[in-house]
Amino acid sequence: MLVLANIKFDFGSMVPYLSWFWDGTVLTVGISFVTVVLGCLIGFVATLARRSRFKALNWLSTAYTQIIRGTPLLLQVYLWTLGFPQIGVKIPDMFGIARSGLLVTVIIALAINSGAYISEIFRSGLNAVDVGQSEAARSLGLNSRQTMRYVILPQAVKTILPALGNEFIMMIKESSMVSTVGVADVMYQQKIIQGATYRVFEPLIIIAIIYFILTTLLTSVLSVLERRLNKDAKD
Amino acid sequence: MLKTKNLHKYFGELEVLKGITTEIKKGEVVAIIGASGSGKSTFLRCLNLLEEPTKGEVIFEGQNLTTKDDKNFNINKVREHIGMVFQHFNLFPNMTVLENITLAPIKVKGLNKQEAEAKGVELLKKVGLEEKKNVYPSTLSGGQKQRVAIARALAMEPDVMLFDEPTSALDPEMVKEVLLVIKDLANSGMTTVIVTHEMGFAKEVATRVMFIDDGIVLEEGTPDQVFNHPKEQRTKDFLDKVMY
Repeated sequence: MLVLANIKFDFGSMVPYLSWFWDGTVLTVGISFVTVVLGCLIGFVATLARRSRFKALNWLSTAYTQIIRGTPLLLQVYLWTLGFPQIGVKIPDMFGIARSGLLVTVIIALAINSGAYISEIFRSGLNAVDVGQSEAARSLGLNSRQTMRYVILPQAVKTILPALGNEFIMMIKESSMVSTVGVADVMYQQKIIQGATYRVFEPLIIIAIIYFILTTLLTSVLSVLERRLNKDAKD
Repeated sequence: MLKTKNLHKYFGELEVLKGITTEIKKGEVVAIIGASGSGKSTFLRCLNLLEEPTKGEVIFEGQNLTTKDDKNFNINKVREHIGMVFQHFNLFPNMTVLENITLAPIKVKGLNKQEAEAKGVELLKKVGLEEKKNVYPSTLSGGQKQRVAIARALAMEPDVMLFDEPTSALDPEMVKEVLLVIKDLANSGMTTVIVTHEMGFAKEVATRVMFIDDGIVLEEGTPDQVFNHPKEQRTKDFLDKVMY
């Protein structure tokens, strides 16, 4: 039976820990942002490889996206932070900052994961441009690079950018996985505060609100961007 | 000017072109007719290598386009001289009409913007669309789009123009405006190859009609020969079906 009478909220007990929440939030946003930027680079290279005329590169790129998308992110994070160090692959702390090696390692894990999804975003964005567009450009004497730059990319961007934004939003949420290996993101802070205050519900609700605000803010920024994009390049 | 030797094209197992040898001379207006799936569009697309022939040669102005030996051979250079107009216009939706026309002259030929735009406006006048220069293609009718597409191809000052069913995707009332532009062009001496279902147009404008059937040139000759005195039974059957 549900007994509501005994429930007492005490959000006041959270006040001393606000700066912890803040620090965690900053790290979460930072990790997500850097991940998506790196993921774009990786995704770009993977897309080039996928479209290359060298069969080995096609194969490598396909295998990469398949493996990454076919295994859980949490597993990938464990592999990079716990598995690989055991066979000697480990990134040392840098600039004398404690745990900076760990931070770099999880960012690599997330970026490699994100790169696979982003390369799919690039690929489908490019494929969405009608083949007649490149035929028209080529028939005018544009080479493949000019065709890509002046004709295909400007049209593909319209489908790619919103999807990239979604990837960023996903990453804000999915980066919470790194709390499991001891990176002090907002999810991790929540656990620490639980331990310090013996309160479970309140910190959970607070970080839920934080995640929600972050993703909602991003969504509205994106929809403004999207609208502007559609206005500039109407068709 | 443009020659093919024993041109073959396979799509997988399917043999679409079964050995086409022909020559298109300067100033000729060649109309290619034939049933859907006969290979006529594929043949046209082989002429500027949008479709790579499986076997055989395409020779433009003495230059073999299908060579695999010459590492310096650059198909883009050749394509500058071969204009092409597509069934579905394929205008660039992210550019204005004028930008569509000036893109290749600026980026490929290296014209400066003023020169290219002056030339572009002149061409738009020629196809009767000068006032549309700053609009986006989405606001144009099909006939207007196709006339812009013709102007875009002409902006590269090609030596030959290829038309791939230029009126097949148009509403009936817009066919004429496009055909008139093509007719003007042909009459001005532009070497033209046109795949078309407009038999009346072929009859009137073409200097040579080529009937492609099942991947070969089954019959060719002057419009009078092919339309009025076809020798092959398949040609007769085809014309019976499309002319009324």
